[in-house]
Amino acid sequence: MIWKLLRQHISVPQLAGFFFANLCGMVIVLLSVQFYRDVIPVFTQGDSFIKKDFVIVSKRVSTIGTFVGKSTSFSDADIADIERQPFTKSVGRFLPTRFKVYAGMGMQGVRMSTDMFFESVPDAYVDVKLDRWHFDPSQDVIPIIIPRNYLNLYNFGFAQSRNLPQLSEGVMGMVNLDIRIMGNGQMKMMKGNIVGFSNRLNTILVPESFIEWANAQYGTGEEVKPSRLIVEVNNPTDDRIAKYFKERGYETEGDQLDAGKTTWFLKVVTGIVISVGLLISILSFYILMLSIYLLLQKNTTKLENLLLIGYSPARVARPYQLLTIVLNLLVFGLGIGAVILARGSYMEILTGLYPDAGAATILPALAVGFIIFVVVSLLNIVIIRRKINAIWLRK
Amino acid sequence: MNTIEMKQTLPEVFAGRDTITSDVWHREVAFEKGKTYLVEAASGTGKSSLCSFIYGYRKDYQGIICFDGENVRSYPVRRWVELRKQSLSMLFQELRLFSELTAWENIRIKNQLTGHSDKKQVREWFERLGIADKWDQKIGRMSFGQQQRVAFIRALCQPFDFIFLDEPISHLDDGNGRVMSEILQEEARKQGAGIIVTSIGKHLELDYDRVLKL
Repeated sequence: MIWKLLRQHISVPQLAGFFFANLCGMVIVLLSVQFYRDVIPVFTQGDSFIKKDFVIVSKRVSTIGTFVGKSTSFSDADIADIERQPFTKSVGRFLPTRFKVYAGMGMQGVRMSTDMFFESVPDAYVDVKLDRWHFDPSQDVIPIIIPRNYLNLYNFGFAQSRNLPQLSEGVMGMVNLDIRIMGNGQMKMMKGNIVGFSNRLNTILVPESFIEWANAQYGTGEEVKPSRLIVEVNNPTDDRIAKYFKERGYETEGDQLDAGKTTWFLKVVTGIVISVGLLISILSFYILMLSIYLLLQKNTTKLENLLLIGYSPARVARPYQLLTIVLNLLVFGLGIGAVILARGSYMEILTGLYPDAGAATILPALAVGFIIFVVVSLLNIVIIRRKINAIWLRK
Repeated sequence: MNTIEMKQTLPEVFAGRDTITSDVWHREVAFEKGKTYLVEAASGTGKSSLCSFIYGYRKDYQGIICFDGENVRSYPVRRWVELRKQSLSMLFQELRLFSELTAWENIRIKNQLTGHSDKKQVREWFERLGIADKWDQKIGRMSFGQQQRVAFIRALCQPFDFIFLDEPISHLDDGNGRVMSEILQEEARKQGAGIIVTSIGKHLELDYDRVLKL
């Protein structure tokens, strides 16, 4: 009955205007939040098994250096100096093999084998589940991490030209490599097991315990300085890092510094888009409030009469509050629907490019949407109630 | 609620006047439950102001208005809402009906709130007041006299200790005025309520306990 009375003068075009404007704002905000959450792992978590904030440092190989035999290895003093820098958390040394390594793989009658080398970094820098990243001399199985590039080289270069099957990462994980190590007048056959692929480490990585054991058994015994260091830093986007290494003439590899920039830009762009979305939402909120104000103004006499025959301000405000809540809820629901649709189309491309990217859920958009819904509805409720109270006080 | 007292009450618009000759303004007046009062007034002497002060929708007065000895000026909204539902009934001079709704809907919107009268009772009042055929008619399409009767019935659809009728029969013939008096007295007696009627000329035929000149 009250609704029958109060729905008079409701302007459908105004409410529709609010509805679509708010829907636009909502979709933009939610989609950018969701997109950001979906895409950011591609840049930040390329290698889940390596700690995130590290830089690999080497000395530049120059032409003259090659001829005069200048060493590109790091002395203890160099390392100590890096350790002293404020941006450094810890420094790890790459430990190379001191013996010969051959690796072979046989499949469909084709045998491939090649000279190889291994390197290791301290286990603290590797994040593979400990049970897999473990070497036991009695077992003869070596876990290995290879650069993802190697797999791509094989799949898209070698396999296609030779009519060999392409291998997925999963299959590669099941393939055993035949590893032959020689040195010190001894030889040993072992099995290699690929446990991971790295985008950022340009080396063939094995556990440090293996290198230490094998160097002692088959190595030549001479002490060799490390030529590459892995430096864990507090913040890879810190510009002091780049400056310091440049001054020393060191080179950095690993795309972490670039990823830092990329994520920064992604953050900025997302921030701008979210601001635009929020601006639209705020403006649409303004439209809604104007429309409701107008409605209340037109219905002032009726509202006043209702109050005078004994209706409480809360009761009189309720239909309008419900109206806005229903509208907001619709916007929230449709917004989420639109995000799910849009996400479906871009996730296809994204998971095609980065198989790991599909892990994120719709939760961030849901949470943000819900927060917006609650905040906007609460504001609506309060503002409408205040307006009704003003009518009670005849202001 | 048993008494409504007015102590030195005066509308602010009258404050600048040198002399006021009135039985109500700037005096001690008490309305008691169960009694019947007529407030006679010339136009512009603050008759509707009196109603709005007591009914709590205007506060532009000086002095004190007390319900059972309690100053009403600082009553919270909640309290007024309760009073308007349970203790004070008002037939407004300007009626304050909803012209978009039918006669019955206008009654129902009040009765839903209080649950005081049943439909049968309302229909009987409609018949006695000669507007039974207007039951489903939109208020906007009724004459002022007919609207007055609907508003009167609406005023009865709640429990009350005092009922205010602000010029209730300004547009009624004597016959309908008489019926209205009967119904009013029946209902007031049932609830033991006080009746306060204002008038600028023609007034309801009732046994007034006191006649006040505003």
